[in-house]
Parts: sequence; structure tokens; C-alpha cells
Amino acid sequence: MALSRPLENDMSHEKREAHACAEYWKLSRRGFLGAASGAAATIALPRVAFARGGGTPRPTLVGIFLRGAIDGLSTVVPYGDAGLYTARPNLAVGAPGTTDGAVDLDGYFGLNPNAAALLTPFQANRLAFVHACGSPDPTRSHFDAMRTMETGTPDNPTSTEAAGWLARHLQSVSPSGTGPLRAIAQNDLMPRVLALAPNSLPILDPGNFALAGAPATEASRRAAISDAYARTIEPLRSAASNTLDSISTLEAIDFAGYVPANGAVYPASPFGAVMRNTAALIKAGIDLEVAHYDYGGWDHHNDQGPLTGTLAGMLGDLAAGLEAFYLDMQGMEDRYVLYAKSEFGRRVAENGSAGTDHGSGGIMMVMGNRVQGGQVHGVWPTLDPSQLDNGDVRVETDYRDVVAEILTAGIGGTDLGNVFLGHGTTPLGVVV
Amino acid sequence: MLQQSVGATAPKVDRPAALRDPILALVHRATFGYTTEEHARARSMGFEGWRDEQLAPDAINDSALDAELASFGSLPLTFAQMLSAYPPSSNGDAVVATELRSARILRAVLSRRQLFERVVEFWTDHFNIDGIGSAQLRYLKSVDDREVIRTHALGRFRDLLGASAKSGAMLVYLDNASNVAGAPNENYARELMELHTLGSDGGYSETDVVEVARCLTGWTIRAVGSGAAGTFRFDANTHDDLSKIVLGVPIPPGGGQQDGETVLDLLASHPNTAARIARKMCVFFLDYEPAQTTVDRVAARFLETDGDLRETLREVLSRASFEEIDVWSAKKLRRPMHMALGAVRSTGASVAAAVGLAGELQLMGHAPFTWAAPNGFPDALGAWGTNLLPRWSFASRLTAGGVPGALLPLSSLSQLFAGVPANRRAAQLDRALTGGRMAPADVTELQAFLDAQPTVDVNVAREAVALALSLPSTQWL
Repeated sequence: MALSRPLENDMSHEKREAHACAEYWKLSRRGFLGAASGAAATIALPRVAFARGGGTPRPTLVGIFLRGAIDGLSTVVPYGDAGLYTARPNLAVGAPGTTDGAVDLDGYFGLNPNAAALLTPFQANRLAFVHACGSPDPTRSHFDAMRTMETGTPDNPTSTEAAGWLARHLQSVSPSGTGPLRAIAQNDLMPRVLALAPNSLPILDPGNFALAGAPATEASRRAAISDAYARTIEPLRSAASNTLDSISTLEAIDFAGYVPANGAVYPASPFGAVMRNTAALIKAGIDLEVAHYDYGGWDHHNDQGPLTGTLAGMLGDLAAGLEAFYLDMQGMEDRYVLYAKSEFGRRVAENGSAGTDHGSGGIMMVMGNRVQGGQVHGVWPTLDPSQLDNGDVRVETDYRDVVAEILTAGIGGTDLGNVFLGHGTTPLGVVV
Repeated sequence: MLQQSVGATAPKVDRPAALRDPILALVHRATFGYTTEEHARARSMGFEGWRDEQLAPDAINDSALDAELASFGSLPLTFAQMLSAYPPSSNGDAVVATELRSARILRAVLSRRQLFERVVEFWTDHFNIDGIGSAQLRYLKSVDDREVIRTHALGRFRDLLGASAKSGAMLVYLDNASNVAGAPNENYARELMELHTLGSDGGYSETDVVEVARCLTGWTIRAVGSGAAGTFRFDANTHDDLSKIVLGVPIPPGGGQQDGETVLDLLASHPNTAARIARKMCVFFLDYEPAQTTVDRVAARFLETDGDLRETLREVLSRASFEEIDVWSAKKLRRPMHMALGAVRSTGASVAAAVGLAGELQLMGHAPFTWAAPNGFPDALGAWGTNLLPRWSFASRLTAGGVPGALLPLSSLSQLFAGVPANRRAAQLDRALTGGRMAPADVTELQAFLDAQPTVDVNVAREAVALALSLPSTQWL
């Protein structure tokens, strides 16, 4: 058995590794979720490099991606628009005062009664809705719409930009403190919006984040893993060091014994656990800048059930989780800004399956620091057939303009030119 | 397997040969994990010989696996039979889903038709169905796995596509079962073009989505109550029988079910479908950014064979593809299921029950049949490459006996380093687990770990195997 290795082969291995490192930026472009195409790619290296701990504490940005496209018209119901009841004879939520009718917000829009828990932060002027909001990318494909929304390139659907806009935000600001973890996604997979983000990890359960194996050999195994991954390609290289650096920080937080403040009760659901963990992470003061969650399952083409079915149950869970988080964090609203949105809205007209197909404009929710709550923001284009975009709610408010206010007024210190390349933002007054 | 790598049965792979050995690369890509036994077989049969054997799975005796699967009573049943034998009132749907998941794991680990199991994985993602989305889907996905994916995985693409279009699971999952004239449901029609055939840049419009949906109105399933429940039925009463235009092709009125068949013909034979399937297969089996020459050759093979998936795959797994893509320098991340079940295979762990492994896959985010969206589990570096701790933890639990039902034999651990010089122990592990293709720096780390231990007993051997399975070298395809 030839066990010894000539030096040349070691060298060729080293070259392979080095070559692979240089290839990463190109690889990641095509590799990430495997969707982007096109050969000529602009390289998305971090624009600005900062020393760790050079910044000031900022509120944590809590991002919730309602994947699959939540039905804005069944959530924040434009009951004052007669077009709703023409387009949706079977699905529309009725006006306030009717059986199972909406809960009035402002005399024109009302909340789905299953989402009534959102009245708590709304009436305290901490929660705002933006309607007819979305992306200028006209695609009705979930996956293309998510890609351009998350990379922040909806004007240029063929862009091969790999970094997410949240990643570019983190690249453009100095860290909020010296903590090892700047962003966490409480999912199995890193969402594209955080692709290439510094000091960021997907951690499904931050309360269960430890290195398994025998304690006696832990230090030497850890050292070997650390050394070996330091020589491999991105994103594994950074992920390994971020993982090893974050274990003790997360282990120091008592997630299991966490007691929410102000009598807040989180729903016994995955989303409830995520919001509870998020509050615990923020209160632990570990310099966490972004907490993201992919909340899937909003693609209701069939038996949508806005009042008693699938959507009703999901809205109840969403609203209960957000209300509990609001209550738990009451008095600490300057510690977070939260948003929830989808890749697009749903078709105005219902289909023959008591559901709705893919649409365009939808809703966005914003809650927390400096949010102008208690209002439904945005221009309402109406549901008059002459005003629809190929049957869909016209996008009157670009999601990037809402995000821009969140990042500048709500969080602070960002460089919008890096976050949304080439987009001139329009002031909205949602976060001031 | 660990024990077989010791002594005379170990293949004599020297380092330079391992670097650009097409057979070793093939065994890693075409199986659910390296074993010294499969490698030795492939070496004796030759690259083409072993590949062609694997491309004809029906001729491979898999009776040992079949015996293991015999205890899963739901696997051969129709939907109607499942409803009766595994009624939802006694959580029978959960039992059916558990059996399918367990079968999937056992097949990956134990089947001698290894390439077939990899192809099944590919098409399962391509025609993804949320197998836990509802009680109905738990039953119907089991039927879909058997009659759509496994029946046609190496057949003709048009047959696979047609079987999927008529699969009860797909009809329910993407709502075509309720797609009716007058107010069509676009869900399946859109994903049929975007995900199953042309791709979102494949040249169709929003109008085509509506027109395809109209063509497929009335494609539904038989209701519960008959023996044929959950199977395809064309309902002429809910079919839109007016004329349509799909991708510029006029579809005359009165076509009935033929409208949908015409759409499937158009899509299956479209060059953009061939190009997309070719690229996706090359990514799955070879590397994230396959050479365009390879993709073009595979796509051409797909078109000239009328979508013969066996011939298409033969082209993917060719020496020419390996050379063009330089698979030896590729850094394609194995997805968690591949990594975990590959560890079971390469260590020779016995699997008495798959439920423990299913739980591990759940922790890694890759439990089979659980991806909710129609695009299937991603196959991309950015998606999986940042979630490493579950891999390391799995490696430690597997070797420490912490995965219920999966047992690393003590005898192999105790013999792992028998007769191996102390300074060659890491190289020995490398040969056993990968055929000797770990990066030398990783072997050095492993050797340093072993050198630092006061004694190298069975427990240290466990930890060394866990560490080897945690290093970057063992994460690559």
C-alpha cells in the first residue's frame, strides 16, 4: 500500500483549495439556490470593511418573509372598495358590522377578524400596514420574485447579484458591538436576503446549539475543525468559524427558562417559538443586528379559507405571534424594528377552487422603533378593473422604499447606495 | 466499510491515482456514499461496466433490501387500500408517511441499485410534492413515489411528465384537481412550465399560463369511495372545450383530454426543456457550474433519444463529462441526506430501524418528502453551506451510538487501526471512508488529533471517525 505522498501532490491539493477560494464569488452566484443564470457577473465583494466592535448598538431588525404570497386583500381588507365584492363573491371578508366582518381600522380598511390580535400594537400606534406594496418585478413566479426581491434587484430581473440586500446592509455598517453573531435566520437554510452576510448563520433552534461528542476530546476536535475549515472555501469557511464562535454566546442564554414580560403569551407553534426566541436574543444584549424567519405556506390557490379555513388559521398564528412579541417587548420598542412581507400579493379575482392565484401588490407590516403606526399607509389604486395591473393590485409603493426608511430612520447608519444599487428612494413617512 | 478496509480486501489506491481516478469519482457521485466494497467492484468492472450495470437496475438482484422493506405494509398499496388498512382515524396517514420515509432511507443505504436511488432523489426534487402537507398527501405521495418517480426515473421524460401530471398527489398538491372551466386554477399550469419543463426563462408568457391551465381543466382525481379513489380521471363536464393557443400553437376546440396531452407533448419535446433538464442533471451529479459543452452534449442526447432518461444519464456520467468539468477539482457540497447516509454506508453502520436516521435528517433540514414548496430541496452551495453544526453533531452521534437504530459495529472500530503504524492511522481512515481522496491537510489534522491522544482505543477511534466525517473533505460530492 502506497502510504507516503510525494510533495508534488500536496502542492496540487493546495492549489486546488486556493483555486476554489478564488472561484467562490463566481460559484456562489450560480450556486445559490441554483436559480440565477448569465455569465457576466459583477463581483459582490463586501464594499466596506470594519473592525469588530467599532460601532454603536442599533435596534435589531426582525424580518419575516411570508413565503408563498399572503393575500393582502383578505388580511387588511379594503371593505370600502366595492370592487372587492365584485371580484370575490365567495372569498371576500365583509365590512365591519356584517357577520364575520372585518374589524375596522380607519373607516376604509379593516382587519380580518382572525388577525384581530394585531389591533393591540396597531391601536398603540406601533404597528403600521402598507397596502398596494410590493416589487416592480412583473414576474408572477414565486421563485423569481423572491430572488429579485431578496437580492434587491427587481428593476433588473436578469441580474446575477448574489448578495442579499440585508447582507449588503450588514456589509455597509460597522458591527453593532463585539458579539460573534450579527444575523441569525431561525431556519435550516440561509435565506437569500442574507446570502454573503458577515457573521451570520441559519440556526433552527438557538436554544440547542452545541458541539456533540465526548467532552474529553472536545477541545482537540474543535481545534481540528477550526483549522481545517479555515483552509476551505466560502461560505463554509466563515460559517465554521461563526459557528464555533457563537456556541458559548448562545449557550449562555436560557431559552428554555425564558419568561416573557408583561404577561405575553406566545402561540404554541413554530412561529410562536421563533418570536419568543427573538425576544430572548434581543434582551440578551448579544449585539444581534438581524433576526430573520422564513414563514412559508401562504400560497393558497385552493380552499383559501380566509374566515374559517387555512388562511384563517395562519393569520391567527401570525397575529398572535406578533402581538405576543409586541407585548413582551413593550417599553423596549427602541430595541427593534420588525417587518413582514411576501414576494407578491394575490390575484384580485378568485379562481374556481375558492382560492386565488399569483398577483402583484400586497401588504407589508412594520412594527417597532419610530414606526408611524395606527395607519394603513400607501396610495390605494382601487380594485376598479380599469385600475388593475393585468388583474392584480397595482404596486403603488415599492418595498425598497419601506425598507429604506426602516434602515435609515428605524435602524440607522446604513448606506442605501449599497443596499439597493441604483434605486432612488421615495419618502413615505412609514418610519421617521 | 471500516472493517473491510483493513487487510487484503482494501483496494490498493495510491494517492496520485486517487487524485484523478474516474472510477473513484464515479462511485462517489453515483452512490449514496462511498464504500470500499462498491469501489472494489467498480474497479473490477471498469468505469463503463459498473456505470452500465447501475443504469440497468432491474437486472440487479436487490432481494436483501426487498426483505428489509417487506415489513412496510403500506408501500405496495393503492390509495383506496391504504385508507382501509391505515385509516386516518387511527393516524394511519402518519404510519404511511413514516413507512415511506423509512423505506427511502433504507433504500439509499442498502440498495445495490445505488445509481437508481440517486436518480430517484433527483426526480423526487424535480417533481416535488409536500409529502406531509395533509393526510391525503401522506397517502398519495407514497403512490406517487412508486408509480411515478420509481417507475419512470430511467424511462422516457414524456412518460414521467405524463405520469406526474396524472398523479393523484400532484393533482392535489398543485390544485389541478379543482381546475375547472370558467375560473381556471393556474397553480399546476405555471409550475408545469416553470419548474417541470421550460424554466422561468423558457419562453412562455402569463397568457400561456392561463391557456395551459385552460387545457388542463377537468384533469382531476376519482373521489374516495371506489377502489380507484385518488387516481386520475378526466371530467369532460368541467373541461374548457373552446380553442386555446399555447406557445403559439393553436389548440382546436373540442379536444377534451387531448388538449392536456398536446401541452405535455409540446413541453416535453421543447429544446428549452432539454437544456434545463440537462443542466440540472449535470449540477446534481457533477458540479454547480458544469461546462457548457457538457450541458449541450447531454441536452443533445436528451433530444436525439426522445427524452430517454437512461441514455441522458449515461451521457452525464461519461468520462468526457468528468474531464470537461474536471470533477476532481469540483467543490460540490453533498446535501445533508447524502452526507448522513453516506456516513452510514462508509462506516458500515448497520441500520436496524430508520426512524433514528429520519430524526437526524429532520435536524439537518433534509428529511425526505418534507420540502413544502414545489421547487424541491435546493441543490446549491449558498443554501446549505452555512449550516454545519448539524453535520458535525450527526457525525458525533452516529459514531457514539447516539442515533437509535444505527449501530457502528464495535468489531470494525477495534480493528480499524490494527496493524496500522501509528503515523498512518489518519491515512487509513481516509482510505476507508473516501477511497483516499481527502485533502492532505485534512488528513494531517486527523493524524494530529490521533497523535494527541494518550491511547488510541475504541472510544478514540469513534471520535476520530466522527472528526473525519466532520472535516471539509468528507462534505464534497
